Amino acid sequence: MSDKTMIDEEERAIYSGDHCLSCTSCMANCPVMAAAKDYRGPKLVAPAHGRMHFSEDDTELSLDFCSNCKSCDRACPSGVAVSTLNMLQRAEYYKKHPHPQRDDMLAHAEKMAKLVNALPLGTTFANLGMKIGRSLGMFDSMGIAGEREMPAYASNTFAQEFRKIKQPSSDKKVVFFPGCSINYNEPHIGVAFVKVMNANGYEVILDEAFNCCGSPLVVTGYLDEAHEHAENNVERILYWKRQGIPVVATCTSCSLMLRKEYEELFGEEAMKEAGENVYDAFEFLEMLDAEGKFNTKLAPVNEKFLYHVPCHLKAAGIGTPVVSIFRHLPGAKVELADAGCCGMSGNYGFKKDKYEISMKIGEKLFSRIKAAHADDVICECPTCRMQIQHGTQAEPCHPIEILAKAYQ
Amino acid sequence: MIRSDVVVIGGGFAGLIAALASAKRGKSVTLLTYGEGTLTLNSGVIDVLGFDENHNAVENPLAAIENLPADHPYKKIGTKALEESIDFFTAVARKNHIPYHGSLDRQMMVPTAVGTLKPTCFAPHSLSGSEVFPGKKRIVIVGIKGLKDFYGDIMVENLKKSLGEDKSYEVLEVETGLTGGRDITTQDVARWMDTDEGTSSFSKQLLKAESLQNGNTTDVLFVVPQVLGTKGHACYQTISSRVGTDVVETTCLPPSVNGMRLQALLIDSLRELGVDIVENTKVVGAEKDGTQATAVIAQTASNQKRYYAKKFILATGGFYSGGITMRDFEQPKEMIFDLPVYFVKGEENWSNKELFSNKPQGFAKTGILTDETLRPVDESGKRVLDNVYVVGRNLGGYDFCFEHSGNGVALASAYKAAMM
Ligand SMILES: Cc1cc2nc3c(=O)[nH]c(=O)nc-3n(C[C@H](O)[C@H](O)[C@H](O)COP(=O)(O)OP(=O)(O)OC[C@H]3O[C@@H](n4cnc5c(N)ncnc54)[C@H](O)[C@@H]3O)c2cc1C
Ligand code: SF4
Ligand code: SF4
Repeated sequence: MSDKTMIDEEERAIYSGDHCLSCTSCMANCPVMAAAKDYRGPKLVAPAHGRMHFSEDDTELSLDFCSNCKSCDRACPSGVAVSTLNMLQRAEYYKKHPHPQRDDMLAHAEKMAKLVNALPLGTTFANLGMKIGRSLGMFDSMGIAGEREMPAYASNTFAQEFRKIKQPSSDKKVVFFPGCSINYNEPHIGVAFVKVMNANGYEVILDEAFNCCGSPLVVTGYLDEAHEHAENNVERILYWKRQGIPVVATCTSCSLMLRKEYEELFGEEAMKEAGENVYDAFEFLEMLDAEGKFNTKLAPVNEKFLYHVPCHLKAAGIGTPVVSIFRHLPGAKVELADAGCCGMSGNYGFKKDKYEISMKIGEKLFSRIKAAHADDVICECPTCRMQIQHGTQAEPCHPIEILAKAYQ
Repeated sequence: MIRSDVVVIGGGFAGLIAALASAKRGKSVTLLTYGEGTLTLNSGVIDVLGFDENHNAVENPLAAIENLPADHPYKKIGTKALEESIDFFTAVARKNHIPYHGSLDRQMMVPTAVGTLKPTCFAPHSLSGSEVFPGKKRIVIVGIKGLKDFYGDIMVENLKKSLGEDKSYEVLEVETGLTGGRDITTQDVARWMDTDEGTSSFSKQLLKAESLQNGNTTDVLFVVPQVLGTKGHACYQTISSRVGTDVVETTCLPPSVNGMRLQALLIDSLRELGVDIVENTKVVGAEKDGTQATAVIAQTASNQKRYYAKKFILATGGFYSGGITMRDFEQPKEMIFDLPVYFVKGEENWSNKELFSNKPQGFAKTGILTDETLRPVDESGKRVLDNVYVVGRNLGGYDFCFEHSGNGVALASAYKAAMM
């Protein structure tokens, strides 16, 4: 059984609404408010209602517009966990109201992927099924944006690919948290991560007892389920922490969920403790670099990269470690896109009624990318990459892939 | 080790300027920020000194600085650095398409959202009220349908008092098509004005003003909320040239579009110079070695990260923005370097009961005192750290709100600290 000690009340995100100064910075920086006149905005939703500590029954219906991009949290000078308050309130709402049909599918990608992978040729048929489903307008009628392609399943999961890798053994170890996207859709990113870690003298452990970080559940209001995921994952992270082995993720939304959002949402001391053992991949490499232990034997790449920094990386407060690591890449030039939120925000942009807002938010980034003439667009977040591809035809990749190639 | 020449803590106006001026000198700079500062709340006009200690209006800020008490930040900064900082700032702003008007030896009067006039020293062309008032006979006050906090009638009332009854006043309401849903903000309208559709519809509606229909077009002045585009000055220029006369924006309640324009301009300039900006990271402590600070410790989502540097500029915004906190009465604390904090002692002097009175608020002078190099000193005037510089609202000995000197002190102190 896990320890359920709660964090001190003054420190808990759920009470952070008390610190709101009504300065409006959160609203001025909310990309959804900028794109949709129907959203009343974070200040009126989270802190205002949060201050009542959710004791009142009145729900602000426009809360449904929030994408959990966390731009508001970053803008807030008073440490109000604005977006988390929104998500807590959303979950309250769904305790008494039914979910739209599509939410179940969007929230449970991991469950679906597990089912599909359990069947012989399941992924092939599922990919085919998704194409057919889309062309028949089935997704559309479920409330999923018909304009979007669903991410295709890879023929092998990352776990399967991982078993094929022959790693040099080492005393220095990290546990990799691949997340659903890498495990089921883009295992090659995980493979690239293993290669980079090996090149830096680390052996990578895959802990198959982890499950989905829970981000898709949180944003669709399935908070109790997310809590179960959190408890399981936290227990695993603490198990590795006791052995002095850090947990590293390449997806910036997974890592933010593991390191910060659990603690904010559920307020348990163990979650905070676990969070301390979680790192983003490039943050970890930057730490090695700080100690002079980063392997700089890198082949020249001679490319200009346009880097879209995911909102959830910005929220992590670690800056842009990709930029500092890429300084070691001979010939690489990194330019920040600096064009705000991409608009996708996990499964937000997949919702039929949010598709237009999502694309409107992305406009600035799309035109920035189209005008930039970069050799490659790089970004850590899988859903940002989908959005960039959808909006620009560019084929963005994860920066770890570039690094892995340079270690040839 | 993450090492830079200069680490700037705080991303308000003072922090942005300190980072920019340092980077322009060729230094490698890391800027650590936690939340937006007050720049996007204020109108991005540079108040240098609006009122003296007795709340008399100051006509010549540069001259009035001479008579300030010795502990006032301007006395440490000096008028030379103040003048240089203004040159520096106006050059950066001009290059990035927001030309500023003004001068240090006189006040400019800018219209507020309620039609009163407020003294300031430097304002972008779009806000430079008193520069365009002379010769205007017909004033058109432009409201936006659905926009909160814009009261045409009150504006007419107040403008009559400040500009004179002899002028004609007209209120015109612009339709944007943005209504439906929540109340719209100046920011929404400014975004609409970024589009061709917005500028063209807006100018067409302004052209329908009664006041334009006869007489000299250039006699007319349009007073508009801060809505002329979210970036730069292009929208302002387009609108003024299409209506054929001057247009002036008012200051406003937060959030302020012009504050955002200025913030965007400064951040773009920092990016251009390769400054590392780390957002959402609260600096919680420092490592020191004698009278040298070696690193600051910043909170990430779940860990701490150390940033090493030769020089640190503290721009954490004082009381208002959490740079200085006070958990226990009469025990204000600067949390990062644990610097000595000056404050007015005795509860009776701490505040005066009338919030908007003609006496400064004692508590507002709380802050860190420095020597003339802007390095922190203790009660006896002895310097406590050799490579830490204190700027902006962190400085003690002045009440920015009472004397109208907020952005002026922020700019001049930040610039000087960067040059040291
Ligand atoms: C509503 C309002 C209107 C105003 N109008 C005007 C005006 O019209 N003209 C004028 O000249 N002045 C005006 N002022 C005053 C002016 O805004 C300020 O005096 C001046 O800009 C101060 O700048 P600053 O950078 O020192 O502080 P701030 O703008 O407060 O910035 C401080 C920054 O430091 C950050 N920070 C704090 N602690 C930490 C930490 N531990 N780690 C990392 N970051 C931290 C904060 O989040 C913030 O970003 C106004 C002020 C307000 C509040
Ligand atoms: S999380 Fe994003 S969408 Fe939601 S309120 Fe905050 S800024 Fe707006
Ligand atoms: S930014 Fe923070 S303090 Fe300001 S209104 Fe929003 S929640 Fe309140």
